[in-house]
Order: sequence, then C-alpha cells, then structure tokens
Amino acid sequence: MSERLIGKGVRRKEDPDVLLGRATYTADVKLSRMTYAAIYRSVYAHARLRKVDMSRALALPGVIFGLSGADLPAFVKPMSLSPYGASSGHVIWGERAPREKRSGPQTKYFPHLCLARDKVRFVGEPVAAVVATDPYVAEDALDFIEAEFDSLPPVTSVEQAVSHNAPLIYEEWGDNVQLRFKVSGGDVERAFEQADLIVKETIISSRYTGTPIEPRVVIGRYKEEDNLLEVWDSTQRSHSVSMFVRNSIDLPGLLVRVITLRVGGGFGQKRGFYSEEVLIPLLSILTRRPVKWVETRSEHMVGTSHARQQTHKMEAAVKKDGTVLALRDRIMADLGVAYPTSGTMSVINTVMYVPGAYRIQNYEGELFGVTTNKTVYGSHRAFGKADAGYAIERFMDVIAAELAMDPAELRLKNFIQPHEFPYLSVTGSRYDSGNYPKALTHTLGLGNYEMWREEQRRGWREGRYLGIGVTLVIEPNSASKPGAYNAGHYGVRIQMDPTGSITVFLAGNDEGQGHGTVVAQLVADELEVDFARVRTVEGDSLLCPFGSGSYSARFSVVGTSAVILASQRLKEKLLRIGAYVLGVGADEVRVARGGVEVTGDPSRRLSYEMIAEMAYFEVRRLPEGVEPGLEVLYYYIDPNLRAPGLKTVPDERGRFAAYSAFPYAANVAVVEVDVETGRVKLLEYASTDDCGRIINPKEVVGQYMGAFAHGLGGAFYEELVYDEAGQPLVQNFKDYLVPTALEVPRIKLDHMETPNPFTPGGFKGASETGAVGPTPTLANAVEDALRPLGVALKKIPLAPSVVWEAIHKAKEGSR
Amino acid sequence: MSRHLLKIRVNGQEHEAKVESRLLLVDFLREQLGLTGTHVGCDTTHCGACTVLLDGVSVKSCTLLAIQADGREVLTVEGLSREGKMHPIQEAFWNHHALQCGFCTPGMLMSALFLLSENPLPNEDEIRRGIAGNLCRCTGYQFIVDAIFELAKGQRVSER
Repeated sequence: MSERLIGKGVRRKEDPDVLLGRATYTADVKLSRMTYAAIYRSVYAHARLRKVDMSRALALPGVIFGLSGADLPAFVKPMSLSPYGASSGHVIWGERAPREKRSGPQTKYFPHLCLARDKVRFVGEPVAAVVATDPYVAEDALDFIEAEFDSLPPVTSVEQAVSHNAPLIYEEWGDNVQLRFKVSGGDVERAFEQADLIVKETIISSRYTGTPIEPRVVIGRYKEEDNLLEVWDSTQRSHSVSMFVRNSIDLPGLLVRVITLRVGGGFGQKRGFYSEEVLIPLLSILTRRPVKWVETRSEHMVGTSHARQQTHKMEAAVKKDGTVLALRDRIMADLGVAYPTSGTMSVINTVMYVPGAYRIQNYEGELFGVTTNKTVYGSHRAFGKADAGYAIERFMDVIAAELAMDPAELRLKNFIQPHEFPYLSVTGSRYDSGNYPKALTHTLGLGNYEMWREEQRRGWREGRYLGIGVTLVIEPNSASKPGAYNAGHYGVRIQMDPTGSITVFLAGNDEGQGHGTVVAQLVADELEVDFARVRTVEGDSLLCPFGSGSYSARFSVVGTSAVILASQRLKEKLLRIGAYVLGVGADEVRVARGGVEVTGDPSRRLSYEMIAEMAYFEVRRLPEGVEPGLEVLYYYIDPNLRAPGLKTVPDERGRFAAYSAFPYAANVAVVEVDVETGRVKLLEYASTDDCGRIINPKEVVGQYMGAFAHGLGGAFYEELVYDEAGQPLVQNFKDYLVPTALEVPRIKLDHMETPNPFTPGGFKGASETGAVGPTPTLANAVEDALRPLGVALKKIPLAPSVVWEAIHKAKEGSR
Repeated sequence: MSRHLLKIRVNGQEHEAKVESRLLLVDFLREQLGLTGTHVGCDTTHCGACTVLLDGVSVKSCTLLAIQADGREVLTVEGLSREGKMHPIQEAFWNHHALQCGFCTPGMLMSALFLLSENPLPNEDEIRRGIAGNLCRCTGYQFIVDAIFELAKGQRVSER
C-alpha cells in the first residue's frame, strides 16, 4: 500500500469480468417485455422521398409498430449538434453571440429529424423503423416496407459540390459549403516576398474511419409513471446524449437518463450524435415497450460517421538554409451530410494545427467543409489533428526534396526549441512542454537511420527500392475548448462509505481505456488505501457528475487532475477528523496504511473505517464545522481557460487556444517496395512517444500499439469508397480492410516524459499520437523509396495497385 | 418457419430446445442460454468476435445455424474457468494487458485455445496466423501475441 502505483503497469481491474465472459455490453441487456427495432434505410444517395407504405410490414405476425418521417409526432424536434438546442445557430461553439459579430467558423445548419422527410441525402439515411417482438421478424419486416423515391443527381466529390451549377443537397443553403473558416497569424505576404524558394504541393488523404468491433447499440425504455426515459447507449458521452435526446424529444417534464455499460471501442465514432439515439427511445415512448436496436456491421459502414478525407493545397515560403518562413493551406474537407456529429469541429482543428511542431509564425489557413451525398463526417482518433499531421509531415518531405536536404535535418532546423515552451503558436494555442529535437534524434538512433541510409544507397545501385520516412507529430488533446459547451471542466464525486470503501463517480465514459484502474491507482496513492477497494462508476447521466464524456484523451489530463484534487480534498477532511479525535494538531497527522496516524507515532492511529463510522453514525464526535459524511464533489477547470493571454474565442484573425496538452511522437519507418507488384514491406518502425508523466506504462504501450494499427490501416488498407452514383462500394468487413495480426508488426517504442507543467499530475494524455504518426511516416517512406523513379504518390491508402500504377505512370513519363 | 428439436451440450451442460431452422448458433447461445460472453461484431463472418469451439474446433458461431450443432458439444468463453478460477489463457491475457475494450477478447481466447490445441509450440508467425481471423481495433495485437506465447511456453513447462 505504501508503494506508489502511479507509473506502474498494474493489472487492470476491468479485465477479469471480460475474460470470464460476464462483462455487460449494451447488446447483452435484457429487459422485461423488450421489443426489437430494425431500420429501413435509403438506398439512394440523393432522392425525393415521396411515400412510405408500411402496411404490409405491419401485417406481419410479431410486428407491433412502424414509423416513418411523415408520422413523427409534433414533440419530436430537429436534431442539434449542441445540447443547448438548435436555436443557437453556430452550434459548435455553443455561443450566443449573433452571427455577424463572430469571426469564428461560419457553419450552416439543417434541421434534420431522426427519420428522413421529403428528401434523402445519403445511402444509409434512416427512412422508417419497425418494432417487433423478435429481432429476426423485425429484420424480415424491412423487406415489406415500400418507399417511393424520385432519384436526384448525386454530389459525390468536393470538386463537384463546389462546381458551377452543382446540384444542391440543401436547397436552403444556396450552395454546398457547410463550413467556412479562416485563421491567420503573422505576415504571410511579407514572408513569401522574403522567400528564396516557394514550394507548392497538394496533399490528399482518403475517407476512412475506426470501426470499433462493437457496433452501436441503443435501447430505450419509457417509464410513464415517472416520466423517465431510460436510454442504454454504447456512447462516449452519456450526459451530452441525455441532453441531445431531451432537446429532440420535447415532452414536458421528461427526464432522460443515459446509461452506458461496457463499450466495445469508440475511437470517436461513438461520440454521436446519431438519429438512432432519438429514434429508438422515441419508439419506446410510442409503443410503451422497451425497444432495442443493435446495429449490424453493414449498417455501421453507412450509418456511423466517417473521417479523414481532405485535400490540402499547400504553399511554403522557404529559405535556402531550410527555414520555413510561412505556410499557406487551403483545405477542402468532404463532410458528407449535415448531421449532428462533430465533423465540423474536427476539420476546424485541422486548420488550427497545420503548422505542427514547427516554429512557423506566418500562416494562413483557409478551410472549406463541403457537403456531399455521403455518410456524415465525424470524429476519428486525433480528431482533425491527425489530418493536420498528415498534411504537414508529407509537405515537409516535399520541401526537403526540393532543397535536396535530409528530411530529419529540415525538421530539426524548424522545430520549436525546448527553451521556447510554453510556446504560443501562430494560431493561438499554448503548447505546454516538449523536447522535439531530443525525441527525433533519439528515434533516428532507435531506428538505425544512418545504417538504413547506407542500405538505401546500396539498394538503389542494386535495383532494390528502400525508403525511409521521418516525422514528428503533435497531438494536441484533452479537448477543453474554451468557450465551447462541451468541455473545459471535469467533475468527480469521491465517496468513502461507512465501511471505508471508496467509490469514485466520473463525468466521463470508458470505451476500453481502463479508467477504473487508473482512478484506483491515483486514489490509492493519494489516500494510501488498498487499490482493490476503489470502485469507479461512469457513464450514467443520473449518477455521475455532469460532463462531456470521453474523447481526446481528456481523462488523462483533466479527468486525472479532477480525481487527484478531489482525493486531496477528501484526504483533508479525513485528516481533520483524525487529528481532532486523536487530540493533535492538523499538521501533526498524515495518511498511511489505510488510516490517519500521528506523524512519527504510528501506534496512534485511526483506520478509515473508524473515521467513517464517526462521520456517518457518531456525528457528535466530529469537530465543529465539519459536515457528516465523507463525500467530495469537485469540478476541475482546464488551466487553458484561465491562462492570461490565451484567447478563449476566435479573435479577428480566427486565432484561439483550442487544446491544452501537447503530447507528441517522433517516428522513423523503413520500407522496401517491390516495383513489380507494388507491395510494400515494412523493415523497421521506431517511435519515441512523449505523453508527459506516465500513469500506467502497460496501458500506454497497449494504446499506442492499437493506435498504430489505425494509422497503419490508413496508410495501406482502409478506404471508404463511393462510386459516381453515391453508392458506397465498401459495405462490410469483406471490403473494408481492418488490419489483422498478420498486418500489424511489432515496432520499437521508447518513451520520454516531459511533464505537463499546467496539471497536478503532469500528464498529457496518451494514445492518439500512435494513430497520427504512421500514416505520413509510411507514405513518406514509400515515396522516398521510389524517388529514383520520379514517382509521386498522390493519395492514400497505398494499396499495391496504387503503388504499381504510380510507378508505371512515372515510367511512361507522365506525372 | 420450421422448428426443430435441438439437443446440445454447452460448457458441459446438456440443453434441449425447439428452435427455428434459421436461428444462428450465436443467437441461441446469447439469447436462449443467456451466455452473452460470445459477441457479434459483423455480419459477414470476418471479425471473429463470435468464435466458439464446436467439438473442439474453432468456428464462427454467427455463420452456423444452431441446429447444425445438434448432438454436438460447444465450448464458450464462460466455460473456460473452473469454479471462478481462471484458465491459464485467461490469466495470460490479464498479465499481458491483452485486452482494452474487451469486445474481441472472448473470440480471441477461443481462437488461441484452438491454435494451441493443434500446435502447442507455435512461433510468432504461427500465432499471428492463428488469430488472423479475429479482428481487434484496440490493442494492435502485440500483447495478445505475447499472452499466447506465455501460455505456449507454460504448457511446455508443465507438460500439459
């Protein structure tokens, strides 16, 4: 108990139940009189919806109810991105300022309901729902629904969407641009005049996503007697969803409780918000029965958010010695439909962080979020910063090639230097701490960089194509966007019960990160209690303090800070009571071995159980002014919000401090390309990751490896492809290539710990750097391998056919 | 829809039920027997979250009809432990942090068990091949491979 647990790779408390097969995920929930819903979805990318006839479906034995967009009751409201409701307009910021006064992002909104009405805008859009007493019957019933569509010309690319006379997806908007945002800093014009060289390149990434192995599940149960709507939801943010549902189902006095049990992975795809989170609970109100909907994988590929797909038109003003004076980036993001997920926020993050790890103080970023007839764009690991990392790290290699400079040298030349932290970026973020040169230099050693360059030179002479990619990616996290509704704080309630056992109620959610274990480590260290006696409760919007959920690794930064500080407050109370009862001064006691003891005289002590008994049952023994009970509620505020000089809302140039913690990772990848087949073999991958102080080293490595697999997937395997009719060609795991154990190699991973100076624990949040690094590093490596052939790789994923074609195109002399 | 009498032994216990011909084995296990440890992660037989052992052979229970298991023996993740005491494969996964969200884990455990029953001393490539039919999005597989390695070595040591 006296050995500190922070920094130890303790076995997780969450694991035994999973291993024994008794962990409860949402699809495992059984309720009395439960029914099952199936959703009829559009097979058109763009069409007018004329009629939905459910009569034959309703006639099937076992089908008890059907609903289409036309039948939605008046109390069902349009879905809104902000839990405050749709009226705020620029909902991503939750601000109330009138549109004209804001220099922030200009975002258009459309009042989508939970079922389509009049028009469908993507393949997979929910059109109708049936409820049956048996899940197989519900699925059968879908075949008996008849809907009439008049197809419209689809918009399937950003170029098409912004072209003259493009069909309008939302006629009310007048165009297909959902989001416009510009951010700039410094004097870009002047910097370009001073350049020795101007480098230009277009960097394109593909559409892909995270596909957690557990698809989404929503269960609704309406308890009329309490006017209580219970929603079991495999979500990353229970409180936010409860407000989202409450705003969308506007019944007077309705209380919405969202309960989240075990979640089988999130990665951003379960941040929501989704139609089914309104539709399924609504069905339980209309049928007065619990209704369960379990997403199939095929539904998931069209019904759950997509990510990544962006085009960056980049320009750099560069000096001969490699100094990058200025950057310009014009970004087009393919946002799909304007449904209430956080895709718009994600791409705003991208434009804010294109300057990356480099001290570039002249920057102009222009962002267009374009609507198309595709599944909605949403959150995916690293939430827009992966996209920024991809663009800048690919572009740095282009610059290095133009200058005939070593890509590692170019980066070392331009890094923000250790003494410059805390560093105010050109877009207004305060980067907390870091040592980029050390991380990269260490990784070059770890990855045998010099040796591989030798091999590469030898290989080229022998007709073998080896390539090396070098990157350093930052992953700003702990999303506590000042001024936004969704963040800036983390609430914790820590309670010691009469037996001395501790329960911690968190404002977040767990999708596999193992919060309970980390919380127990922190509390055990702070209070000197047994790790096994600390239980964590999260994901219940009624029981847990109000919060915005889990995403952006924020638990590691703001969550742990809240737990540490709440534990300290509880400790203060325990010490105060202990000192009083032991008859000594408050400064003469300390916590140790599960109790309070006199410092230097451990025989004079009170166990926590004894103190708890007094606090609950013998309150007459408490000191004056001390309340009964042993419970602390504490909301931690992100330090970014109060730091002097940081902007909490965009200024006249669009600058503001979007994130507060800045983990980063340096990467080296070595590949060999078989020019006959286009196949790429990974020879070496080395990373140095700095996530500040490490809480649980095993968890950090495990999460990094998992994130790495996502980044690897983006580089070589994963793509959500649409044809010209807006039909998704990738509809299941046969076509969507999730890397298996055969594709994900072992890598070399070292760690650095540059503490976060602004939080009690010094933590920065981990895991997402692993997802950001591989994609540009591997793409850089492959392009490096093919440099002698003059091959430019214009897009990812780098499937063998893509590489092969690029090689042959270059051979034929066309680029 | 025709119904059939299913007689099946699951985790050592005999069961009899009248089932629809189209009832999937995974749904029989989860819904009718309440053994929800086996999970459904896809609908095209790719993810492996539904893996169980049928007469000692790993199968994807989402792609078998329950009636195909008539007269046969099924082992699910719930059947691995004895009186609350974990099977060595479960301990190994725990020790090696081989799970995060846990959704793929039951399927991984069953595949690992089958792999080791066919090949008690696999090398790394053979282990990866053995679990290539089980998709994981959380772990990047490394610690899962380590856990299976540990068990393999343990088996050699204890002569099981």
